[in-house]
Amino acid sequence: MNNREEYTPGPAGGARIEKDGERWTLILVRELRHAPEKVWQALTEPAHLREWAPFDADGNLSEAGTTVKLTTVGAPTPHISEAKVKRAEAPKVLEYNWGGFDMRWELKAFGGGTRLTLWTNIGHRFIAMGAAGWHICFDVLDRLLAGQPIGRMVGPDAIKFGGWQRLNAEYAKEFGMETPDWPPNAPQRQNEGGKEP
Amino acid sequence: MKIKLTTVYVDDQEKALRFYTEVLGFAKRSDFSQGPYRWLTVASPEEPNGTELQLALNNNPAAKAFQQAIFQQGQPAAMFFTDDVRGDYERIKAGGGEFTMPPTDVTASVITMLKDTCGNLIQLTQLARY
Repeated sequence: MNNREEYTPGPAGGARIEKDGERWTLILVRELRHAPEKVWQALTEPAHLREWAPFDADGNLSEAGTTVKLTTVGAPTPHISEAKVKRAEAPKVLEYNWGGFDMRWELKAFGGGTRLTLWTNIGHRFIAMGAAGWHICFDVLDRLLAGQPIGRMVGPDAIKFGGWQRLNAEYAKEFGMETPDWPPNAPQRQNEGGKEP
Repeated sequence: MKIKLTTVYVDDQEKALRFYTEVLGFAKRSDFSQGPYRWLTVASPEEPNGTELQLALNNNPAAKAFQQAIFQQGQPAAMFFTDDVRGDYERIKAGGGEFTMPPTDVTASVITMLKDTCGNLIQLTQLARY
């Protein structure tokens, strides 16, 4: 069943931010109706990642010490970063870097399913965009695990999608920040550097 | 077809943004990100819809090697044109810019060169009028 056209994300939720000096971390929690073993597979195997994640991996992420190339999907210029798997304790904890970002995944068995938590670094002005993007990725992941894949929605597919734009605005409001100018080449707003804090 | 954008590799995009806006005086034009990828451009306030300069992270070995090699050879990574190279030199120097060459007469132009704090030399050029 392919209901990509009918997909509408729910309201913003399950995200929080932490600040350590100049370093911001976005923390996302999602409860999935699937066992940690199954979620682990989706987080580590290239064929599964290709169905929902914002990057392609050229190898399995499930072994500590390995290096895997991650290709950002839909970036305006080719963007490939080498990820080093720092920690892989199936099906509980997975840590690697995506470019300059540290990614930490935690899977906790929860009522027959999995409570999945992601910690990821992010530039301050992109927190709402990132939260909106991951929100949709997790929705797509949930449907994939349920055997009803709707196809990956990342990069341009996400951004031109009304649901992403709404989530971006909702997360920006939740975190008390302005959304970045969108589209990115729009003329600078008149009040930029003006009254806003 | 139009030439609307050129790219310099930088070793730190935040530092680059500070240099190209606060020190040189360009304006941020676009800035968005996707995961660790960040598309960041500036443009001249004299020509807001003119050619953009992309400040691209040198996050791959080829970009790093290229950037370091041309820097060591004293080659500018980018060149900007001005009608007043000596005035810009004084203004940028007062704003903390580190020049490697003061305004110098060369064939058909006056040039000056400075470091962009992110691994590059930048040349400012004023064409001579004969």
